[in-house]
Amino acid sequence: MVIAPLRRKVLRDLGRLWPQVLAIALVLAAGVATMILGNGAYASLSETRARYYADYRFADVFADLTRAPLALLGDVAAIDGVLQAEARIVKLGRPEFPDMVEPASILLVSLPVNPDAGLNRLHLRQGRLPEPLASDEIVVSEGFAAAHRLQPGTTVPVVMNGKRRDLVVTGIALSPEFIYALGPGEMMPDPRRFGIAWLPRATLEAAYDLDGAFSNLVLRLAPGASETRVIEALDRLTAPYGGLGATGRSEQTSHAFLDAELKQLGAMVKVLPPIFLLVAAMLLHMTLSRLVALEREQIGLLKALGYRPGSIAGHYLEFVLCIAVIGCLIGFVAGAWLGAGMAQLYARFFSFPFLVFTRDPQIYVLAAAITVAAATGGALQTVRAVLRLAPAVAMAPPAPADFRRRTGWAARLVPLRQTGRMIARHLLRWPMRSLSSIMGVAMAVAILVASLWSFGSIDHMIDITFSRAERQDVRIAFVGAEPASAVQDVRRMPGVMAAEPFRVVGARLSHGARSKRLAIEGRPADARLSRALSPDLVPMAMPGAGLILSEALAKALDVARGDLVTVEFLEGRRSLSHLPVSGISVGYVGLGAAMEIGALNRVMGEGALISGVNVSLDPAGQDAFFAAARQAPKTGFMNVTDLTVSRFRQTLAENITVMITVYVTLAGIIAVGVVYNFSRIALSEQGRELASLRVLGFTQAEVSGVILGELAVVVLVAQPLGWLIGHGIGLAMVAAFSSDLYRVPFVMGREVYATASLIVIAAALLSAIAVRGRINRLDMIAVLKTRE
Amino acid sequence: MPDDPDIVIRASGLTKVYRNGPVEVHALRGVDFAAVRGEFVVILGPSGSGKSTFLNILGGLDSASAGRVQFRDHDLTELDERGLTQYRRDHVGFVFQFYNLVPSLTALENVALVTEIARNPMNPADALDLVGLSARQDHFPAQLSGGEQQRVAIARAIAKRPELLFCDEPTGALDSTTGVRVLEALTEVNRAIGATTLVITHNAAIREIADRTLRFADGRIVETTVNTTRKRPDQVSW
Ligand SMILES: Nc1ncnc2c1ncn2[C@@H]1O[C@H](COP(=O)(O)OP(=O)(O)O)[C@@H](O)[C@H]1O
Ligand SMILES: [Mg+2]
Repeated sequence: MVIAPLRRKVLRDLGRLWPQVLAIALVLAAGVATMILGNGAYASLSETRARYYADYRFADVFADLTRAPLALLGDVAAIDGVLQAEARIVKLGRPEFPDMVEPASILLVSLPVNPDAGLNRLHLRQGRLPEPLASDEIVVSEGFAAAHRLQPGTTVPVVMNGKRRDLVVTGIALSPEFIYALGPGEMMPDPRRFGIAWLPRATLEAAYDLDGAFSNLVLRLAPGASETRVIEALDRLTAPYGGLGATGRSEQTSHAFLDAELKQLGAMVKVLPPIFLLVAAMLLHMTLSRLVALEREQIGLLKALGYRPGSIAGHYLEFVLCIAVIGCLIGFVAGAWLGAGMAQLYARFFSFPFLVFTRDPQIYVLAAAITVAAATGGALQTVRAVLRLAPAVAMAPPAPADFRRRTGWAARLVPLRQTGRMIARHLLRWPMRSLSSIMGVAMAVAILVASLWSFGSIDHMIDITFSRAERQDVRIAFVGAEPASAVQDVRRMPGVMAAEPFRVVGARLSHGARSKRLAIEGRPADARLSRALSPDLVPMAMPGAGLILSEALAKALDVARGDLVTVEFLEGRRSLSHLPVSGISVGYVGLGAAMEIGALNRVMGEGALISGVNVSLDPAGQDAFFAAARQAPKTGFMNVTDLTVSRFRQTLAENITVMITVYVTLAGIIAVGVVYNFSRIALSEQGRELASLRVLGFTQAEVSGVILGELAVVVLVAQPLGWLIGHGIGLAMVAAFSSDLYRVPFVMGREVYATASLIVIAAALLSAIAVRGRINRLDMIAVLKTRE
Repeated sequence: MPDDPDIVIRASGLTKVYRNGPVEVHALRGVDFAAVRGEFVVILGPSGSGKSTFLNILGGLDSASAGRVQFRDHDLTELDERGLTQYRRDHVGFVFQFYNLVPSLTALENVALVTEIARNPMNPADALDLVGLSARQDHFPAQLSGGEQQRVAIARAIAKRPELLFCDEPTGALDSTTGVRVLEALTEVNRAIGATTLVITHNAAIREIADRTLRFADGRIVETTVNTTRKRPDQVSW
């Protein structure tokens, strides 16, 4: 049996080189784990969503309008491509919990007569649906129920259209329409302050004077139907009834946020695994090259003994494949484990009735195949060299490493000590190895830079948005438009120090073929609370007639200052105007367009109306203000800046620890893997020289300094490179993640670079300490007795 | 001689036992030895008789199991790793069978490696000159022949002006002509810097250029020959 002894050697080599083997296997495992986690989470999230949508008949098109007769529904259903249409009443009510000072709102959604046949079907978690004729029964969303400890049987007082009603919870449910339940004007879901209640339409008809009418449409389209054409037809039908313009799923809040999450996962899958696999291939190449160099004589002997070159090369391939298998196994376990953790995060963040965590064997097979390919790729060159090695050449001892070529000059340029020259020449002697190690460490830095910057950006975004642009303490949105004098009523409320009106009008802005549906906000010319900021973050005065567009909107419409945009108002008299773009402002959330409030009312042609008031409060009078604002019949909903910001921060804080741990671990694995392997190989090559230095009277510290100096050069050169690559990845992320929902400002600061470098250098130091132990244990005498 | 103030290195009752699990190897079994300043001592003896062990302990590369080694009035047996390193650094030069040059440094740089950390070094170029290698000072080890590499090693060993020069089979890997050149270089530097020189060799003819010859067998010095008339290497028929 020819193979057996070689196979035993594979096992012995693996055992002997275990720290290096483990370091490489961990890098491979990180690649496998991120691949499985990313693909798995992606597949799991999109499949869960798809199945949820299908099983619960999630609508394709959504439209809000003021009031339309139910008879219109027949015309809507008749639109070509519409499979099913449902008319609903959707209104915002206000829950009144005795223990809750801060404002909350609850979205009231009418249930179809036969809920099982309707669209956006509910998934009941507990209890039952309301009786169709019961006028005080509701089903509430699960998050809201949990936040307020609601059970079937609990009574919830809700103010509907100014009248307080005691409603009884009959059940707790989830809906595909509110997987991500974001309250109006909020940045993050907060189940305490925003919930959904479903109730028979009769209750809502009565409360909002909508007998025989509806305020919201949801449609399901026939497969292959053109969404755009249906929306156009629908908008024509609803325009006379105050239609605000229909949207497809892509602009439906819950769907869009899920999409953004999927997009990020997709990007992670594209970026992270290739980095790890590439670094692992490079490490395998380095390690195997050294192993083969050390075993030249054995290889020559084996060849001389008549082993076929193929079986010798196969031996080294087997060694590499074993590492790949170890990496895959660790990666599978870690990927599955992290995947389960990720699913839990999703379950907390998104409301799904079930989570399909696909353990698609295909992903595992694919990951294994790619890993084996990367490992083999890393080994290929060395294995070819083994094949080519002639037995006689292999058995002769290698000539002393020749340092003449390309290294002589470099070290002479600088007046180095001799040990410095050794470091410089050794690094230059194997430029590919040095460069790929530098790249490896740089990748560790880049991963950190590309993940850590976002925290600073979010702080920046919060700071700009809430301390410079939206400086009000509370924003009250009225149920409907009110005369301008309504601001006086608010100003008289307790605790109010300043109050500024605003007007919000739904509109469609178009420029050429591009068009966006959004809300134009009117503000006083000299607004001090809610302001637009120029790109250099200076407050902008509202222009006399033109529009100020956010950068995102200007880009989406492809307009610049001075261009004319077509504005089609979707409210009131639905007038059509051409307005100049007077300025471009900074904004991170949504698409923004602003005008001077008077100018807006003029083009609308409806007199001086306001939609709400921004208020700054005396902290001492806050509770009294909330009580008063709540009682005011005009109040629709309120956004409290402090609550919005703290909820935002709290949500981020929950995820930040997880994210930082994951990214630091990933970067640490790369840094340790590269640094440890690099130094072990350097030590193996130079062990003899270093032992000679010890004999010559160099101290342990001086001798370690040679290897550690080499390492330091690699690690230090890698830093700026890593910053650069991380910066690039960050920029690509900004481009990839920006959507109409939000834009992430790119704030890359020195702290990000410093933090990334510190973490990587710390990881490098740890591996250096491990290697230093080995340097200190160098056996001087053994080395002197043997020839290399 | 025991109290000769010129005594540089002295060993008494030197014993070394290697333990490999249950097996004990007695490499040295009580060796007494002393050498004075500038003395040239040749050590002969069969392989495995303890010569290298003796030299390594005297040179501070290894420690004794029992007995004492004194350098001047310092007791080497009491030094820790750090102290031994300092001892080697300041006082000892080594030359080995396998030259152990640093391949990434030129001849001159290999010498400078030591002069940079020595207290009272020669100019590295002068050290190379002493071994007749001035012309090749910018060559890397890979560009030098075995004999040349060994002479660089000698230059490197003596460039710090050591009190002690220990050579373990310096000609072992060389053909005889080259070996003679190396031995010539050794006697040359012994004369030039006055270092007490101990040379292990299998070449019995070298006795004639030495002040004293020790013969090792089975971990003991079994014979000492004092040479009253030292010959120059070129007078010896090798
Ligand atoms: N590190 C060691 N471990 C165990 N035995 C050793 C070691 N070094 C030397 N020996 C043994 O000590 C004895 C003397 O060795 P050495 O001093 O190298 O002899 P020489 O140089 O005279 O050939 C030999 O039997 C050798 O095998
Ligand atoms: Mg020996």
